[in-house]
Amino acid sequence: MNGNTHNSTDGGQGSATLAERWYVPVEIRALRVWLPFAALVNLLILAGEALRGNGAEQLGVLGAIVLLLILRASLPDGRQRWRRYAGQGLAAAILVLGLLSLLRRDATFYDLWATSWLFAPSALALYWMSAGLSGSWCAGAQDAGAAELGLARNRSLAPRFEAFALHTFLIHAVALVVAPVIWIVDVSISPGNILGGAIFDAFTLEHFRAVLGGEAFWLWTRNSLVVALGTTLVGLLLAIPAGYAFSRYQFAGRKGAMFVFMLIQMFPGIIILVPYFMVMKTLGLLNTSLGLIVAYSVTALPLCVWMLKGFFDAVPRALEEAALLDGCNRVEVFFFVVLPLSLPAVAITALFSFLTAWNEFLLALVFNTSNDAYTLPVGLASMIPATGQLWGDFAAASIVVSIPVVILFVLFQQSLIQGMSSGAVKG
Amino acid sequence: MTPHRPDAGLTAWICAALLLCAAGAGVPHAKAQQVSVDDAAQAYRQIRIEVDYAPAETIAGFEIWYAGQAFESTGEAELHSTIRVADTSALARGPEDVLFDRCWSDGLPIHRDSAGSPVADPDASNWSCALSGMTPGAEQWIAVVPVGADGAPLVDTESLQPVVGRTEVPDERTPPPDTRPVLYALSLVVLSTVALLLFLRRQDARQGRSKSRLAHVYVAPALIALATLTFYPILYGIWLAFTNADQSRLGDEAWIGLANFATVFAGPGVWRVTLFTFVWAVSNVLAHVALGLALAVALDRRGLRGRMVYRTILLLPWAIPGYISVLAWNGMLQPDGLVNGLLGTAIDFFDGAGSARTVVILVNIWLGVPFMMMVFSGALQALPSSMYEVAEIDGVSRWNQFRHLTLPNLKGTLVPVSLLGFIWTFNSFNTIYLLTRGNPYSGFGEPGATDTLITHVFAVAFEYGQYGVAAAWSVLIFLVLIGFSWAYLKRTRAMEAVA
Repeated sequence: MNGNTHNSTDGGQGSATLAERWYVPVEIRALRVWLPFAALVNLLILAGEALRGNGAEQLGVLGAIVLLLILRASLPDGRQRWRRYAGQGLAAAILVLGLLSLLRRDATFYDLWATSWLFAPSALALYWMSAGLSGSWCAGAQDAGAAELGLARNRSLAPRFEAFALHTFLIHAVALVVAPVIWIVDVSISPGNILGGAIFDAFTLEHFRAVLGGEAFWLWTRNSLVVALGTTLVGLLLAIPAGYAFSRYQFAGRKGAMFVFMLIQMFPGIIILVPYFMVMKTLGLLNTSLGLIVAYSVTALPLCVWMLKGFFDAVPRALEEAALLDGCNRVEVFFFVVLPLSLPAVAITALFSFLTAWNEFLLALVFNTSNDAYTLPVGLASMIPATGQLWGDFAAASIVVSIPVVILFVLFQQSLIQGMSSGAVKG
Repeated sequence: MTPHRPDAGLTAWICAALLLCAAGAGVPHAKAQQVSVDDAAQAYRQIRIEVDYAPAETIAGFEIWYAGQAFESTGEAELHSTIRVADTSALARGPEDVLFDRCWSDGLPIHRDSAGSPVADPDASNWSCALSGMTPGAEQWIAVVPVGADGAPLVDTESLQPVVGRTEVPDERTPPPDTRPVLYALSLVVLSTVALLLFLRRQDARQGRSKSRLAHVYVAPALIALATLTFYPILYGIWLAFTNADQSRLGDEAWIGLANFATVFAGPGVWRVTLFTFVWAVSNVLAHVALGLALAVALDRRGLRGRMVYRTILLLPWAIPGYISVLAWNGMLQPDGLVNGLLGTAIDFFDGAGSARTVVILVNIWLGVPFMMMVFSGALQALPSSMYEVAEIDGVSRWNQFRHLTLPNLKGTLVPVSLLGFIWTFNSFNTIYLLTRGNPYSGFGEPGATDTLITHVFAVAFEYGQYGVAAAWSVLIFLVLIGFSWAYLKRTRAMEAVA
């Protein structure tokens, strides 16, 4: 029993050194994690090379992946001195591979990025294994004092290493996210309808002029505004009383009704689209704003009811009871106490309804077949038919449509996320 | 003879003649030809003319010229259509139900060649055509010019004497179909909802819950709206699934039993499209959750510089209207688009089944990550930071902190959000429709390579017009989703919140 305790504090294996157990330089720790990541990214690059059908490059990248993994496996472990030299050699080899691939052709932006995933890990590994490690640690001959100093150094350096890794990850994510945005801006200011080519090499406002000067765009905007505002109004009128009743009253059928409201959200519009379409056609509501308003208010209704119920729940009942004691009736309490208090919440729900209607595509596509009745989503999509695609005009219109929506989303992100998942997730 | 103006509503044959012999002596083989307007056969935007002529070998065809005012030469008129005169023994008589430019010869639908153009037999001495595209309520001058084998007119085209015709069928939309059945059904739904609410209210009263008297009134509008516009369409859809409803039979469909379901299951590619739908939903949700969680954890790191900037930018795919992002990706992935430009290739990603499927999934992953990131960010912020501080002091590595502290604590968010994400992705339509429309094409009526159940139902209904079959698909999807939703609602214990 006693012996066991002794063993576990002093190192279970007899041959394990102090350094090995307690102190690994932060560089080695980092490389242990980063090298497999670099190999993973190079696997993606390999897929890219396969798309290009470039045999020699594929072999080069494949070789680099193998070398990166071998390097990871043979990193200095604070015991065997040879690992340091092996690591230096391997890192140098990867560096050479990267150089070779860069020299083989006129490097595009993509090539620079791809080779940087060979250069950066191997250069870091080479540098650290040459300058960053003490020889005594690599050989497993480090004493406790030096290890203690090293630990202190690790503590101060580790956050920086971590930050470097995080920023690398986040910058890659950001690049993927902004690529379409940059592309759209580029297409909107390039003459003609060119999809590729150099970024920001020409400037023209012809597309913005064509879109903003034409009638169609403003017609679609007007349709979208009418539909979205109508949806918001009708939706709120239906949802506020229901949300309030669910929040405040116990009544027969409450549980069933709330369950139905929850369940309805799970079904895609498409399964009722055919009967919906036939009802709308019979009632002559195709190609009208009214048809879409009716459809959207009901589509968004369950979520709005759930959102509002959650918000009303947060309004303290004591206030209502006080007002009731003061002689208000239930309706007055609702209008003069509850509603003003939950106005921000109602605004969020309204915004949610508005944005849902503003961005909806499927129902608008099916119900509005005439150009005069198009909403913005269908109108913008109609600029990109199979032939005669007006990419430039589409890009310009997209920017005009997106900017206000993006601002609203960014400003109210927290509330919108909460709302969207409230009915669904809060349970 | 002067062109005669037929009175509207007159159903008699009114003949106006264009006599070729009157046109001049210089025209060879001038034969008598009589053109008349059949006012009895009025149709929407159509004027029917009848031409009687003496058959002649020199006549290789007829040109029909028309204009909105009187004209004498073809230079002032527009060519409406031509009728060839050729041997018709190898040709079939055209279908009666073509919509435009229906023609008859000897009282039967005229022969048509492989291109669909009308052909008259050399022996025939009469043909008639319902010329389409005519403005209703306005006079149209029409002249018929016989042409020879070289295409040259056989009459003097400078002194034509056109006939005048008009169609009085008003330029209106066709009257809407009978709305009564739908209105009856809707009223029935409304009435039964009201009855249900009244019944529930009485139950409340009997149990002595007087406080909640108004509750049913508050809920009524929302419930009635839901009943008329969701429950009723669902029931109507279930009925349609058992009928032969299609584009041409709207409102007078008939019961055909399980035939539509047989069509669904006998059709090629049923299992393929089902499998792809699940591959699509599962791979998307896995990627959304993994990447969203990774980003949320990265953004949650204390002391991260530029957090707000990162967060705002990373939100963009969620904030930009989805249809715009998808169309942008569509453009970027074209052979001459940005992606190929960066790679230095000219690949058509939408051409092959495998690459098209990969691409639609990748684009949808791009769209869905930010929502998950935001949800997880919110959940992470709710975790106590002291937990991590203690772990740090104990020397727990980052990975172990994530595995043993973060993940178990996020489980309450992770599971329901994943299930919800699954249902949303399963139901999603825009990405696939706007990127590929389900293509690559695999055959008529068959789901395309990138079709999911949802986009396929859309195609069946609104591209092929088979409403009944689409309704049968919808019923099947409905059943599958009921299963998922049930699992979801049970997992999230949503019902406890209701109670």
